[in-house]
Amino acid sequence: METLLKNDLGIPLQDFYNPNVLLNLGPSHPAMHGTLRVMCRVNGETIEDATCEIGYLHRAIEKLAEHKTYHQWIVYTDRLNYCSALANNVGYVMAVEDVMGVVITERCMYIRMICLELARVIDHIICVAINALDLGAMTVFWMLYTWREQAYTIIEGMCGMRLTTSYTRIGGMSYDLPDNYQSEMKKFVEGLPKTLDDVEKLLSANRIWVDRTKDVGILTQEECLAFGITGPVARASGVDQDLRRDRPYYNYSDLDWDVVVATKGDVYDRYLVRMEEMRQSIKILKQLSAKLPGGPIWTNDSRVLIPEKKDVYEKMEVLIHHFKIFMEGIDVPPGESYRAIEAPNGELGYYVVSRGGPKAWRIKIKSPSLALFQSYQHSIKGAKIPDAIAILGSLNIIAGELDR
Amino acid sequence: MTHLDAKSREAQDRINGHVKEKYLNYGRFELDANGEGILWFSASDLVSLVCKLRDDPETAMVRLSDLSAYDNVDRIDGVGRFVYFVNLYSVKFHSRMRLKCLLTEEEAGGGILPTLTGVWPMANWLERECFDMYGIRFKGHPDMRRILMDERFEGYPLRKEYGLEARQQFKDTLGIRIIPEEEGAK
Repeated sequence: METLLKNDLGIPLQDFYNPNVLLNLGPSHPAMHGTLRVMCRVNGETIEDATCEIGYLHRAIEKLAEHKTYHQWIVYTDRLNYCSALANNVGYVMAVEDVMGVVITERCMYIRMICLELARVIDHIICVAINALDLGAMTVFWMLYTWREQAYTIIEGMCGMRLTTSYTRIGGMSYDLPDNYQSEMKKFVEGLPKTLDDVEKLLSANRIWVDRTKDVGILTQEECLAFGITGPVARASGVDQDLRRDRPYYNYSDLDWDVVVATKGDVYDRYLVRMEEMRQSIKILKQLSAKLPGGPIWTNDSRVLIPEKKDVYEKMEVLIHHFKIFMEGIDVPPGESYRAIEAPNGELGYYVVSRGGPKAWRIKIKSPSLALFQSYQHSIKGAKIPDAIAILGSLNIIAGELDR
Repeated sequence: MTHLDAKSREAQDRINGHVKEKYLNYGRFELDANGEGILWFSASDLVSLVCKLRDDPETAMVRLSDLSAYDNVDRIDGVGRFVYFVNLYSVKFHSRMRLKCLLTEEEAGGGILPTLTGVWPMANWLERECFDMYGIRFKGHPDMRRILMDERFEGYPLRKEYGLEARQQFKDTLGIRIIPEEEGAK
């Protein structure tokens, strides 16, 4: 009996304050949001030390980039942050267009900005809803997911896909907006704020939610800089930065919206920042939909232009052009560009190195999740195990982007 | 250059001009397709150079955006097997610049590049990934292990000679070990 109650180190199992208990979280665990793995050394319920392991979802996306043509690789960007695939699509084609010097049309630019903001809203919906679900608030999850479904209906109308969108093309978009876009978007931008109000009524002053999230997982401004954290998590810590305002791309400087900044950097502040950012994104979506210009969605740069299907069937030259673009790929001149956008989780960058020809020499993806997960093992030290789950949910780490 | 507005363009050009004027002793300076500066340096200067760029009030490159390498097997960028690059961001001026360094295969494996973990703890995982994918070792790195691939993996998958279809499978998994925070984060 005596031997049965002791572990390998000879420590009696009745000793609840044994500081040498190892607890493995993940890689396959419902609270770990995908294939994340953390090993914790716990003393009672306090995590004294922790280490993260990544790579479980590594699919060699950067290696594939060197073996696929620029167009073929668009589908792989969907599989980075699969909760906001549209933002990844846009960021990637921007980088390639930079190397080529392609100028897109105004309508294309507006559609892409709509994509970016729609992606931000659904990504934040997922983050807030799942974070609340992990802490036991199921109603919030259902209420918000109704609107995620509506957003996916809009996206499905735009490109025929829901999750893996592959909506953008180099120099244009695969499809124009659908006829019912304005009415569907109207439903979305008018309905979601009401639900956001309801969610705030349910959570913001909720005793359980506040107790579980306030002063949990605090990251200071200095830590955000040291760990390279960007996006809503950094803004919750008081780092006033947003690439849409600081280094504007597309039309963001002409729109009326605000950067949301909090002060404390705990889980509660991250929730508040994301809620307000959704409202700001809706504000942007409304302005974009109202100002949406007409005209073509394709640039007339013949190096990248994918011709109309009708012309491909009727005109010999267009058929040849179509054949060359799809069989050989587009010819990108030698050069390089690092293009970063303010993705829902922070700075998402594509560093494209071209040595000429239809395939990239190197594409390096700067993923915001890598920085976030690296800070995770630091910020859960000293926290309780349930706090670790709350912190993980608030960081919104997406394994597809983390492991690439 | 298509996406930058006038204000960002001006800030970027000013930093480019400043770096071109003050930092040319480190190596040659060029511009990429976006008009962002690229400064070449030699491996031993890395830490002093990034600290200087960080502390110089005219550049204030306080944030590390990204760091990795690419294969230079065709020698287009010069003599050296790999090009190691660091992407920096100036929070004050909202401008970017890139540092690049050529490494021979021996230099890469021998660890002549110093680690940046002392300047930014974030560099830890990025440098591990760089080692994992290209076999570039970093002098003074607290935990120079593979990060995405299995520790038993042989070869470096992002080198050009590593085939796309090459597979290495392992029947079992390895244990995980905890690195003390002092080593891991500082």
